[in-house]
Amino acid sequence: MKTTYLLLKYLAILLWSSFVALPFLWALTTSFKTANGVTGGATYIPWLQYKPSLEGWKVLVRTGGQGIDIVAPYISSAVVTLSASLISLALGTLAAYGLSRFTFRLGFIKNSDITFFFISQRIMPPIVLAIPFFLMLQFLGLLDTIAGLILVYVALLLPIATWVMVDFFNNVPRQIDEMAMIDGCNPIGAFLRVVLPNSLPGITVAGLFCIIFGWNDFFFAFTLTFTKTQLLPVAVVALNSSVTPWWSLSASALVSVAPLVIIAFFVERFLSSGNMAGAIR
Amino acid sequence: MALILQNIDIRENGVAHLDNINLMFSRGGLYTVLGRTLAGKTTLLRTIAGLQQPQKGTLMLHGSDYLQLPVWKRRVAMVYQQFINYPHLNVLANVAFPLRRAGVPRAEAHQRAREVLGKVGLTDFEKRRPAALSGGQQQRVALARALVKRAEILLLDEPLVNLDYKLREQLREDFQNIFEGQDDAIVVYTTTEPAEAIQLGHQMIIMDEGGIIQQGEPLAVFNAPATIRCAEIINDPPMNIFYGTIENGDIQLQGGIQLKVPAHMAHLPHGPYRFGLRAADLRLGSMIGSQVELSEISGSQTILHLRGDIGTFILYEEGVYQHAIGDTVQVDLNSNRIYSFSVDGDLIAGPAAAEAYRR
Amino acid sequence: MATIELCDIAHTYEPDSDDPTFALKALNLVWKDGGTYALLGPSGCGKTTMLNIISGLIRSTRGKILFDGVDFSQLPTTKRNIAQVFQFPVIYTLMSVQENLEFPLVCRKIPKGERIRRVNEVAELLNLKDKLKRPARKLAADEKQLISLGRGLVRNDVSALLMDEPLTVIDPQLKFEIRRKLKQINEHYGLTMVYVTHDQNEAMTFADTIVVMNDGEVIQTGTPQELYNRPETSYVGYFIGSPAMNFIKCTLAGNQLQTAGGRIPVPAGMSIPANIQNLKIGIRPRHVQFTNSESAKAIKGQIQLVQEFGNARVATVGIKEEMMRVKLNYGAEVPTGDVWLALPEENLCVYADEKLVNRNR
Repeated sequence: MKTTYLLLKYLAILLWSSFVALPFLWALTTSFKTANGVTGGATYIPWLQYKPSLEGWKVLVRTGGQGIDIVAPYISSAVVTLSASLISLALGTLAAYGLSRFTFRLGFIKNSDITFFFISQRIMPPIVLAIPFFLMLQFLGLLDTIAGLILVYVALLLPIATWVMVDFFNNVPRQIDEMAMIDGCNPIGAFLRVVLPNSLPGITVAGLFCIIFGWNDFFFAFTLTFTKTQLLPVAVVALNSSVTPWWSLSASALVSVAPLVIIAFFVERFLSSGNMAGAIR
Repeated sequence: MALILQNIDIRENGVAHLDNINLMFSRGGLYTVLGRTLAGKTTLLRTIAGLQQPQKGTLMLHGSDYLQLPVWKRRVAMVYQQFINYPHLNVLANVAFPLRRAGVPRAEAHQRAREVLGKVGLTDFEKRRPAALSGGQQQRVALARALVKRAEILLLDEPLVNLDYKLREQLREDFQNIFEGQDDAIVVYTTTEPAEAIQLGHQMIIMDEGGIIQQGEPLAVFNAPATIRCAEIINDPPMNIFYGTIENGDIQLQGGIQLKVPAHMAHLPHGPYRFGLRAADLRLGSMIGSQVELSEISGSQTILHLRGDIGTFILYEEGVYQHAIGDTVQVDLNSNRIYSFSVDGDLIAGPAAAEAYRR
Repeated sequence: MATIELCDIAHTYEPDSDDPTFALKALNLVWKDGGTYALLGPSGCGKTTMLNIISGLIRSTRGKILFDGVDFSQLPTTKRNIAQVFQFPVIYTLMSVQENLEFPLVCRKIPKGERIRRVNEVAELLNLKDKLKRPARKLAADEKQLISLGRGLVRNDVSALLMDEPLTVIDPQLKFEIRRKLKQINEHYGLTMVYVTHDQNEAMTFADTIVVMNDGEVIQTGTPQELYNRPETSYVGYFIGSPAMNFIKCTLAGNQLQTAGGRIPVPAGMSIPANIQNLKIGIRPRHVQFTNSESAKAIKGQIQLVQEFGNARVATVGIKEEMMRVKLNYGAEVPTGDVWLALPEENLCVYADEKLVNRNR
């Protein structure tokens, strides 16, 4: 009875893992196909079922005057995402610390209301913001520029960073700040020297969220850029033509996802929450 | 040169956390603050440290207004009930932290930190993180960090309450040695245990419901508690209180028990009183009959919870006596040790030794 | 009501390591039906581990556990009929006191009339009767702990009540009250009760039998009087009693014991093995008496310090490099300078290699 149960458990896991992994597998195999390989039935094993070719990949680096140059959008995306994430993290962490430690009151508005105000910005459908952002950037002359995009992304990512960090800071015992102040730190000093070093898991999560949301955003990149600046998701869409080039789309999809996977892999160890042990008993 | 608190008040939602506190602390003094939980001891320490602002009152150190100074500018060190250490630093860095913040160069800071670590008995633990230490060791790191600053005011908020019984005994011994070295500092130590307060302090302050109800030398306070409430707080087990009157030269206690008025109460007028007697001043004997409600044995002492016509009371005696619940025992009262309080609870007369300490 | 036996129980939290540290080293214990027991020891000695093995929250790495002779080792907690009270009150915050107490019965589908009867009975015992309708989270810490306790008592299939330092959050002056209630519960229901603590006073007042533990091992089992008067190892002498037992080094010289402060005769009926390097005498501070210098059996020392504790005073007497404490009642006279200490024979213990030397009576 126990072994059947175990078998069923593993079977369920296997099924679910396949369900999740299959799209990647499909993308991988498809990226090595040509137009011929894609038509007909589904094929998976290279050399046996179809002839692998690097055509999908070549297109990404504009060989032979065809396709797109993926490198420039890659760099633009990286620059915009990283800058916006770093700025959002910095500002968001500070805001979160303030919301966690100090009491604000404006009439009937309390700390929890302000925090909700931040979060509520992400509840809105993006399209509601598209036109206002467009007009604002136009007014500033920042349409179709990296700087403009960074500005908009900070506005979008800041709530996430703040939201994650407020919750995290609420779980850091207040006595640690007090002890740091008694030991001679002013509040900022206490924050930088004592609270931040112990908040690595929270910062990691907030940072990851920011990077993921920033990197994957298509809508605002699409609305707010035209020719000069191009972000990765938009560039990938540009690959489309009358005949859908599945192979280059697959290749570009894999290329887009790769950095995030690598980052997550390295950053995983900072996510453990055992860091606060020894602070307070 | 002293720390003076005047008319300090902190109230929240109608509850007084601190109720018109007036205190004077002198340099080099070791003060214990005794009180039940929620008496206001922690609030008092936090106010001195600057973590809480009073709504009313003044706080002066050496004649200058301390209330104006923010926490980080006050020369205060504090040890909390819960062992607070910086988890991301090792023991040496933890202890050196306040010195580095004050601008002391690294080498010197580490040197001084090592000295203090030696004093608290943690010399070999420099490189460890707080998480890898036991409770007693963590609290000693916190203590070392408080001592290394040589602050003018050292505040300890029930520092031993979260430790093992035996560890508490040990550290209490260590405290006596450690506090010797802090000549000029004002040390304020709060506790809920009367024995600890009496043992450690030169001056004792009893707090209750946010206010100070008595202060003085520990033994003086012990011998002459100003009110019944003070007597309850400073005795463990709590002092027994009996209702009765003095008539015709005799004490008539509730339930018809009659005693001769002892010498130290001979001058008292007739009338109703409340009489107090410590558990240790009752003996197994023949005077008063009572039923055992509960019998507790602790090492070589017996603690009996009894109920009789006289009321409920507790007896504490050397020796081991087995009693089942419901047994009848006879009890003697040592009338030479009776305290008399007014019906409102104020001390009127106490045993001879107490007289020497009153006022 | 059950007799619980632990057979060869050992436990480690690192079963896969090559050289695991054992939180509990192999031990055998019997908890008799209806008895009150205390597990006494410092932090980290393994007492909480043992409690959790009995209740089933942990499955021991080795050994088995029997309830009335039946092997319960594989049974989960819910089937063991154990009630456990933890250090911190565990209450269902959204329910009233009554609903909290009812909960275990509701889970077992006991009919309403029976539920009300049992809840009232327990509430009466714990003095919670007039608070039944209040929201549980509004009560003080000690009342919340009583609710935790009550939840264990409403079930009538409970065979043992396990308590892990339950009085930690309680005000010192209320501890008396709750200890009284626990004793009453034991008399009323006849439950086997096991109480884990590091506080010797709690252990000695509550339990008929105390199990002293250190470092995962059982050091001594006995009644409070036995542990106080005849500690089998110097560790028990140190751990039980406040202040701890006095220990002075000595050497065997014929039928006398030579110490740094003088000679005292070997107590009657005691045969101390020869050639022991590590020999000590042990006596409790309460039993040491001041005497005059004429007594041939006295030890000489100097008064170093007198400490006041309210009801008692403790004098520290220096004997060359060592020291002894004397505990006296408040107000008792303490001599100054050079003093002589008498060590009554019936209270004197001798330890060879930290183990008590027995007397033949």
